[in-house]
Amino acid sequence: MKTRIFLQATLVGIASAYSGAALACSVCITGAAGERLTDAFNWSVIFLMAMPYTIVFSIVGFFVYAYRRAAKKARAEEPAALNPASELS
Amino acid sequence: MAREATLRKFEPAEAPRVPAFGGGDPPAPPRAFKPIVSNARIAILMFIAAEVMFFAGLIGAFIVFRLASVEWPPPFQPRLPVGVTGVNTAILLLSGVVIQLAMRARASSETQRVLRLLSATVLLGTIFLLVQGYEWVRLIHYGLTLSSGVYGATFYTLIGCHGAHVLGAVVWLGVVLARVRSGIAGRESVQLAGVYWTFVVALWPALYVLVYL
Repeated sequence: MKTRIFLQATLVGIASAYSGAALACSVCITGAAGERLTDAFNWSVIFLMAMPYTIVFSIVGFFVYAYRRAAKKARAEEPAALNPASELS
Repeated sequence: MAREATLRKFEPAEAPRVPAFGGGDPPAPPRAFKPIVSNARIAILMFIAAEVMFFAGLIGAFIVFRLASVEWPPPFQPRLPVGVTGVNTAILLLSGVVIQLAMRARASSETQRVLRLLSATVLLGTIFLLVQGYEWVRLIHYGLTLSSGVYGATFYTLIGCHGAHVLGAVVWLGVVLARVRSGIAGRESVQLAGVYWTFVVALWPALYVLVYL
């Protein structure tokens, strides 16, 4: 276990030291920081990365809202005598 | 003595408990399970999520083209009708308010009110499409086409896709209107069509700001 972790950490260290390998990517080698096209791509990537999270959290939020609304409606419909929680509130 | 100890071990410590409802009415049968969110509503949410990702891809591409250009709109290109489309935006937003009222009326089972509001929504949506189509014909006449450059390609792709969705939503609302009038509409049909129309309406201001302004 410790040997495996040591080997993995060594590989990560070598990859970090040899950062020139990143230039093998056609996008990385052509896009310099601060260039208009690079910035445009970056903004587009950030927007597209944010969309799935926005959608998922919106849907989850809707389910939470629907559950709370249904629970509130169920509490309102139950007779007070059968709902001991109402005596405690 | 060993036998007595064994018997004592298995003797109950107290008298057997009587069930709380012993002698009374049996408990009520469990109520039929009714999901909090119906299957149809989940389906429309999944569909809208897929549509949002579709438009997100198109908008992402538009962002690249727009931000990468030195000048936007590019020179020597026809200018978009911002004012007329602004009025058209107001018409579409009004239709969104009307469909919300129709959904509430449907929940209250006010059929005549639902019919009036659905008709108004279909009318407003049709006006939006007609105005958009008229402006498109003018732009094509001025030289802005799908193949005239990046500006025209992105404009017609984004706005065209939205227009196709509005057309489909108008047709859907028309079918729901006919079914409500005939009395054969399902309980959730107005709600589902209304949710999709709300999505189409809510998407437009984002496209208007991004493309026209």
